[in-house]
Amino acid sequence: MKIQRLFSLVILFALTQVKVVHAADIAHGTHVFNEECAECHSPKEGKNKKGPSVWNVVGRKSASITDFNYSDNMRSSNIVWSADQIAAYIEHPKKVIPTGKMKYEGLADAKDREDVITYLSSLH
Amino acid sequence: MKFKFFSAHLLSLSVLSGLSIYSVSANALPSFARQTGESCSACHIGAYGPQLTPHGVLFKLGGYTDTDGKDGKIPLSAMLVEGFTHTSKKQTEDAQPHFDKNNNLSLQELSVFLAGRATDHIGGLVQVTGNDFDRRFAMDNMDIRIADSRQLSGKDFTYGVSFNNNPTIQDPFNTLNGWKFPYMASELAPSPNASPFINGALEQQVLGATAYAFFDNSFYGELGGYQTMSKSLRNKLNAGEDGRISGTAPYWRLAYFKDMKKQAFNVGVFGMNAKMQPDFESGPTDDYRDIGVDASYQFLGTRENIFTINTSYIDERRTLNNAFNAGGATNRHGNLKRFDLAGSYHYLNTYGLTAGVFDTRGNKDDALYNNGEADAGSINGSPNSRGYILQADWTPWGKDDSWGAPFANARLGLQYTGYTKFNGAKNNYDGLGRDAKDNNTLFAFVWASF
Repeated sequence: MKIQRLFSLVILFALTQVKVVHAADIAHGTHVFNEECAECHSPKEGKNKKGPSVWNVVGRKSASITDFNYSDNMRSSNIVWSADQIAAYIEHPKKVIPTGKMKYEGLADAKDREDVITYLSSLH
Repeated sequence: MKFKFFSAHLLSLSVLSGLSIYSVSANALPSFARQTGESCSACHIGAYGPQLTPHGVLFKLGGYTDTDGKDGKIPLSAMLVEGFTHTSKKQTEDAQPHFDKNNNLSLQELSVFLAGRATDHIGGLVQVTGNDFDRRFAMDNMDIRIADSRQLSGKDFTYGVSFNNNPTIQDPFNTLNGWKFPYMASELAPSPNASPFINGALEQQVLGATAYAFFDNSFYGELGGYQTMSKSLRNKLNAGEDGRISGTAPYWRLAYFKDMKKQAFNVGVFGMNAKMQPDFESGPTDDYRDIGVDASYQFLGTRENIFTINTSYIDERRTLNNAFNAGGATNRHGNLKRFDLAGSYHYLNTYGLTAGVFDTRGNKDDALYNNGEADAGSINGSPNSRGYILQADWTPWGKDDSWGAPFANARLGLQYTGYTKFNGAKNNYDGLGRDAKDNNTLFAFVWASF
């Protein structure tokens, strides 16, 4: 019985830590977003700037916001914005969409990319 | 008579140049925010113009053409500045026609802008401004651009041409005279006589074309020239009459810029040469050769706490053949040096504090500077002035979720300018009993844009 309680406490503690770490990742991802992305992209649904809204972007098909004027290259890319695809895109935008409109040189730090995608995943 | 005419004319050029430091017509344009779908804070430090973020630098270099892709945007904006000016000691004469010697409330600027994109590669701004002391509208700043971007050796390459009417107004970093701190200042307070030629002596009286290139988001080069507008055009636009450039006055600029998102900096050099005919007639010219260096640093972080520091130093060499021959200058050759340094802190792009110092030095010239005028003269015949400017401001709107965005923005500011030396002396600088500190100025302003 004691062993079961102890095991439960360990699991609970571990889950708490996961949640704390996840929250920390989102917080850091929010900072990265504000530093790198927020001038051109809004996290709000329906709010497009020079770039489209990133609300619910993870899992979204490329060029799927109907009232945003995408580049022809983006329209024909047929990308689904999985976490991996977003990571590749924000690391080297011109490699993924060579003649896209996004004026961004890329996010070099892997942890920054991971956390900003964690933050984007929270937007839904 | 001729002596007095030339002397007054040359001094007026110098005075105008000096005044220009304090008559910066600064812009914060909601029409650009509407065009891009972005907030003012995306392009401007403190969510109000004209100090640019790196994002704003790229917008300007791109010819003001970026857009959110939606049609139907009207490229019109308006701006007004209402200010209250108090100097430590009242001026000898009224500050301007229709105003008192001190404690003046004025509509300092009322501007209308045509500002926006015309095509994917053409954009700009054209400003017309009036106020309640000139009581007329006149042409203000203009910057119309043709720009394009492409890849060159795998790097971003932006290039274009700016057609403008005020040297330095087209600078992409907004840290040279056209847009430098103070971004707004009283036009009803005394200001030092002397300032380098490049700092506004030609503003709105010339037309210039400068070609520029920006490679790898870092290396910037610009070269162009200016000519004085014809008399009939100047009259139509209510532009000033401060002499004519003989031929074309070349302007150049080189800079290195680095945007690291959390922080950014630029360093550069710039210069301009001009041969002026102060009486609009051929003959000997007054020649100016200005060379400057400048640097700027911004800590942007998450945009909650933003620190900036800007500095510039200008070295001017003058050969005043015209003025010397006419007795308007004691020395044929002279120099003037100007140093500026300003640092700012903004919290949440809403609350701002800025402190700056300025220092102007040059050779003495009795005929040039000692005009015998109360408040504006220099008994020493010296251009030397120095002082400091402190400003606190509040910009409640201009952020993504602000009230009125992107249709309205406003800044409320309180500014204090202190002089430790004015026109060559700390005490009795004009020979008529006025001290430098008598010109210390408290300026409160409301600055609104629509």
